[in-house]
Amino acid sequence: MSGLQIIVSQEQGRVPVTVFRIEGDVMDANSYGQLEAQARAAIEAGTRDLLLDLTKMKYISSAGLRALHTIFMLLRGDTPGESDETMKKGLMDGTFKSPHLKLLNPSPAVTETLRAMGFDMFLEVHRNLKDAIASF
Amino acid sequence: MTTRYSLQTVAELKNLNQIRDFVEIATTALGFEPDLIPNVQLAVDEVATNVILHGYHGQGGNLEVELERAGSDLVVHLRDEAPPFDPTSVPAPDLTLPLAKRPIGGLGIHLVRQAVDEVFHRVTATGGNELTLVKRDAAGG
Repeated sequence: MSGLQIIVSQEQGRVPVTVFRIEGDVMDANSYGQLEAQARAAIEAGTRDLLLDLTKMKYISSAGLRALHTIFMLLRGDTPGESDETMKKGLMDGTFKSPHLKLLNPSPAVTETLRAMGFDMFLEVHRNLKDAIASF
Repeated sequence: MTTRYSLQTVAELKNLNQIRDFVEIATTALGFEPDLIPNVQLAVDEVATNVILHGYHGQGGNLEVELERAGSDLVVHLRDEAPPFDPTSVPAPDLTLPLAKRPIGGLGIHLVRQAVDEVFHRVTATGGNELTLVKRDAAGG
């Protein structure tokens, strides 16, 4: 009964951006693997910048956070110039967010979970697609 | 007179959808506001997943999910027959660490604490676990 649909599209801003539109209420222990696998496949096919459209997601479970974390790490591996020092400094300034993984339109419940689990410091959130694509 | 809604199911990942639907139906039937539902579903989802993966080690087993109203509080009991394990004893993760430095995973019970107001664990008479979640209805029920 797990049926998480992920609709993939390619957009062009300053750089090409892959968009995953998550069609499904929740991401649970059943379906988070699907998101991870899809992200890995996209990265293998050349994706360097990924936007997750969470408009339809009602809440995010720990499995969903696990997938976000994994994808964050996968996309991060691509920027050898980012030293830990840069990241630490950026964190203290409040400026370090992933340049490669961003979120579109999370619900209030999802936003609150990201904040409570400290993910909001690392992931930029946008409210419309155009702004999101242009931000990469 | 207390109305209780009870679901007896098998602790398997494929039943998470059924459990979520049940939580929505029972919460509504007990007269709680709809905005309570996502947080309660999240908490139950997390606990049920832990029972499935860690309690029963993926082998399946009985799981009962029961919802009732206590004044303006929603009370959820999850009962299993897995070896006793108190998830409330798990220490909180260090969320001050940068994402790149944190171990992946381990957030389940912490999410439960964030989603509901109180969490209690006890070992049942048959040697299994009962986890009780309390969610206060801010609207006053």
